[in-house]
Amino acid sequence: MIHILIVCSWGMSTSLLVESMLTAAQASKYELTVEALSAGEYAAKVETCDVVLIAPQIRHLRKSIEQLAASIDKPVAMIEPFHYATMNGQAVVEQVQHLLATPGKGKK
Amino acid sequence: MSKQVNEGKSQTTLIERSSELFERYLVPPLGALASNIYLQAIRDAFIIFTLPLIIAGSLFLVIANPPIPAVKVFLQPYQNAILVPFQLSFGLMALFLAFGVAYSLAQYRRTEPVQPGILAMVLFLVASMPVRNLTTMPLGEVLPYLGGQGLLVAILIGILTTEVMRGFRGSRFTIRMPKSVPPNVTRAFEALIPTLLLLTLVWSLEWFVSVHTYVAADHMVHQLTLPVLLMNAFQPLVVVQDSYPAALLEIVLMMLLWSVGIHGMNVVTAIAAPFWLTTLAANATGGHGIVTEPFFHIFAHLGGSGATWPLVIYMLRSKSTQLRTVGKVALGPAIFNINEPVTFGVPMVLNPIMMIPFVLVPVTIVTINYAVFALHWVHIPIVMQPFTVPLGVSGFLATGGDIRGSILQFFDLAVSALLYYPFFKAWERVLIAREAATTTQVEGGRVLVTA
Repeated sequence: MIHILIVCSWGMSTSLLVESMLTAAQASKYELTVEALSAGEYAAKVETCDVVLIAPQIRHLRKSIEQLAASIDKPVAMIEPFHYATMNGQAVVEQVQHLLATPGKGKK
Repeated sequence: MSKQVNEGKSQTTLIERSSELFERYLVPPLGALASNIYLQAIRDAFIIFTLPLIIAGSLFLVIANPPIPAVKVFLQPYQNAILVPFQLSFGLMALFLAFGVAYSLAQYRRTEPVQPGILAMVLFLVASMPVRNLTTMPLGEVLPYLGGQGLLVAILIGILTTEVMRGFRGSRFTIRMPKSVPPNVTRAFEALIPTLLLLTLVWSLEWFVSVHTYVAADHMVHQLTLPVLLMNAFQPLVVVQDSYPAALLEIVLMMLLWSVGIHGMNVVTAIAAPFWLTTLAANATGGHGIVTEPFFHIFAHLGGSGATWPLVIYMLRSKSTQLRTVGKVALGPAIFNINEPVTFGVPMVLNPIMMIPFVLVPVTIVTINYAVFALHWVHIPIVMQPFTVPLGVSGFLATGGDIRGSILQFFDLAVSALLYYPFFKAWERVLIAREAATTTQVEGGRVLVTA
């Protein structure tokens, strides 16, 4: 079971992406849970997750989010703006799988 | 065909070059503003802790002042009773904001958030009450300063509390417990010294202010409190914020932020919300302030920030595959004023063609609406709603049940449709040329373009 945190601003549009990611994961029998949080909530909860994703509308916070994630060894990545725009959950799930498979970045 | 391809290419490089320029010169200063930790904490506090109470409380205000005269007469005897839930939710927003700011800031600082949250609430109460015999004090004397008029004090106290408690944690000036004591007990003792210190500080400051009583215009003797003092100091700012130049500045800042892909409404809310809410709270009791949260969320950002509703319709019928794809995804969210699919899909962000109307359209709408409200053509917004309430309904509700509020929204929508059209067409041509270039290359079998 993979737990993903998506850091965004109000969680409104991200909840649509979460829905699409869960559908895509179910179709490929990939078990995951996804949580969309603001940057503050993320800082309080980062220990509990496996992967951190950053929504494009808060890319100005990218550096500080990446630093925190790196300091406790969590893989982190930006979501492609166009994937975000078209709510392409499939592509984002693939991005997560790729991120976890990359040696040195994943925990396993 | 090949001429079109070349044209498409040179356009593309020009667009890429100018968006690089924006990325280099516009993103860093706007990003720095948006990532300020205090602004983020204030923003979170408003959204997570006070907004639900403000929205729920607003509904009771509408019921107490119904738009239909016959109903109004019928409910008149019960008006004070109906206002009680409003006064104790909406009316106490500053109290909850104090908790929210301290809590959210602690989260950003990665320390325990509940203790500073609770302490901030206590300190805010101490700051708002005149120092005298409280058992004989009428609640009405302090009530306004626990709500709209106390927001600035609440924010300052929220920040102060978390920062002081964080400073003490782990310093020499905390009470240390042996390792065998459970962590919860340790934490309570750790907080004891900063709590006592802050309580004494705020209380003595309040006492100092409280001895300076004054006679107000109503010939009653009042005792000064910190919120009264601060409110008097900031009153000019509240007045300045409720003006056309301020509204213009705020909308331009919002849209510039969005133009580089940063959530603009979010950033501006953190700075302007105390003023918007002070004005809105004054409107609830008969004021006529124009620049409030609904002025932007409900009357300017139709279909999402930038009033992009019409673009969704254009996209659905577009000849460009990219725009059609985005249009289909964007339709559902647009109904609820969510437009990230538009912003990042068209895209509006860092797109030199679309950035022009992305700023221009909301600026025009804000100008029209400011005039309309200033001329009393539509009832002033008094109710706050979730920004996801669909167009038409939201204009009616925001104005406390004025149908002209909905009409204004549809008028603004038509303005937006008109202004966006030429820019949309120009961008569509670029995309069609680009798509044609890609297909010819693939068909020719020479170069395979991979995204």
